[in-house]
Amino acid sequence: MKEILEKLKILADAAKYDVSCASNGVGRKNKGKIGNSSASGICHTWTSDGRCVSLLKILMTNDCVYDCKYCINRITNNVQRASFTPEEIAALTIEFYRRNYIEGLFLSSAVEKNPDYTMERICKALELIRNKYGFSGYIHVKAIPGADNLLIKRAGFLADRMSVNIELPTRESLKILAPQKKVEKLLLPMKQIDNCIVENKEVRSKFKSSPKFVPGGQATQMIIGATPDSDYTILQASQSLYNRYNMKRVYFSAYVPVASSPNLPSINTMPPLKREHRLYQADWLLRFYKFKADELLTIEQPNFDLDFDPKISWAFRNIDKFPIEINKASYEELLRIPGVGIKSAYRIINQRKVANISYDSLKKMGTVLKRAKYFTTFNGKYYGGIQIDPDKIKGILRQKEIQKQLSIFELA
Amino acid sequence: MNYLYDGSFDGLLTCIYWNYYGEKISGIYNVNQYQQSIIENYKIIKTDEKLAEKVYSAIELKISKQALDYVYYCFLSNNLNKENYILDFVKIGFKLGKNTLDYYSHDKIMPIHEIYKKVSFERHRFLGLLRFSDIKGILYAKYSPDHNISVLVADHFADRLKNEKFIIHDIKRNLAVVYSDSSWYLTDFKLKQSIEYSEKEKLFQRLWQGYFNQLSIKERKNINLQFQFVPARYRKNLVEFNYTVDSLQNI
Ligand code: SF4
Repeated sequence: MKEILEKLKILADAAKYDVSCASNGVGRKNKGKIGNSSASGICHTWTSDGRCVSLLKILMTNDCVYDCKYCINRITNNVQRASFTPEEIAALTIEFYRRNYIEGLFLSSAVEKNPDYTMERICKALELIRNKYGFSGYIHVKAIPGADNLLIKRAGFLADRMSVNIELPTRESLKILAPQKKVEKLLLPMKQIDNCIVENKEVRSKFKSSPKFVPGGQATQMIIGATPDSDYTILQASQSLYNRYNMKRVYFSAYVPVASSPNLPSINTMPPLKREHRLYQADWLLRFYKFKADELLTIEQPNFDLDFDPKISWAFRNIDKFPIEINKASYEELLRIPGVGIKSAYRIINQRKVANISYDSLKKMGTVLKRAKYFTTFNGKYYGGIQIDPDKIKGILRQKEIQKQLSIFELA
Repeated sequence: MNYLYDGSFDGLLTCIYWNYYGEKISGIYNVNQYQQSIIENYKIIKTDEKLAEKVYSAIELKISKQALDYVYYCFLSNNLNKENYILDFVKIGFKLGKNTLDYYSHDKIMPIHEIYKKVSFERHRFLGLLRFSDIKGILYAKYSPDHNISVLVADHFADRLKNEKFIIHDIKRNLAVVYSDSSWYLTDFKLKQSIEYSEKEKLFQRLWQGYFNQLSIKERKNINLQFQFVPARYRKNLVEFNYTVDSLQNI
């Protein structure tokens, strides 16, 4: 008993820097004995650093034969090692799920012995969960690069989502920090997974009852800040991953220093959380707001402004497109207004069908106008109170930010 | 005239019926919570399923299915004035028709949006925050939500845990959803004695606590944010917030 708790601690600890916790996007009814997936994503608890806990996120093993410089599990690092058996993984998943602790499983792994051995054990765990326990909840599994295609395929028919970590945005970075990982070896399973998804869709359009292959699609992850790569490089890389492999998500993970090496930021560097956040915002703009990567960044301006989000930064650079008239703008135009999100844009369009929108009515609808008011008019009237000038607006927003910080300070 | 009803949804709808086919209502109140007014007279309305059904389908047909959902969610809220908000909403809804909900900022419509948002937010939250324990093969969860959401979470768990038997116990209202063999019902419910956990149950609770403790990245601590997501009042029923260092060590 003690042993399993110890293992759980070690293998959860080793997995926690892996960011992709999202289980949403795959709605599925319970066709087996236990479990379903909710399309809107459910958080089961929140950690003391404020992150949503949705999945049981663990490694099969942290006993790695590779030596990636940025990783705590690298063979040359002195950490406690542990490995779960497939049976243990299955029992934990099911018992946690029954108690509503978790939404599903996120199973990743270091490379124990060799890629095939590891992938085989992952498959066994998934088979127990799906077939023995009849679990039809969410499973996200990491494919181990270099494992036999048949093994990856086997896992794909059991998982909802599968991912291969690209780790770093350029070949050069990868060569320096993860010498045993060849780009081709990472891209190959991505291609294979993508091919299988396409093929499976075709088969299923003819034979509805044939099993699904990773219905939630494939995802990948990049580490941010371990290398000198710019935001522009990162965003370009992520866009080509979306396009070339039909990625559902590209996750970013701020690098937390785990080792000193001449090729890594110093061990005292804080993880670049703000930057990670800006990249996610940009990613969001690309996927849902119809922005293009080169609208947000350019070779001349390759990094995000940490003070302002990418959308308002875009607005500052394109100030001639503003103000936008709330009562006339199209849905696409509304989405370009800083502070107006998808929900607000929908509401504006809906309410406009029945009544004109005034500044106050928009406020009542719950739209935060703190930023939007500098970029909009309501029936021709402008409520910003200052000239529409990027520097003036920046000045005011900065001031407000400082006031906010001071008021928190006084409260505490 | 103030109308008093028995606290049931049908009762409330019956009142609304009589507003149209009897004396106009100045206010609807729960008979158990009513404080007599010196100005208004009151009348106790007997719940009538048939009349309620008429109002129910009138809301669905003349306004919308979604409006009906909103009304029901508001009814389940802990808002003290909910009956009158619902009455006002239905009245204006019968005039405005199927787009009623789009008038977000209308003062008779916005309250319904706001209350709905609160109730559905809490419902969604508890889809994650409810904790079951295995008591001799029955999954038992106790919680004390702000709003009366048990019936709103029941279907979700009935699908998810369809081969199990479970009880979702609202300890604030002494109500429970009881599920077995693919159907559930709502009932009055109180525990006769406190619950003893089996060794196996304790083990999984400790494993969960241990896992949870391991998760935080200490470089990123943000306790305020955690309190926003998991308010203090919910924590007493959450396994992962109720452990002692001891319980983690002495296994
Ligand atoms: S293969 Fe994975 S677990 Fe092993 S050292 Fe590299 S990143 Fe770490």
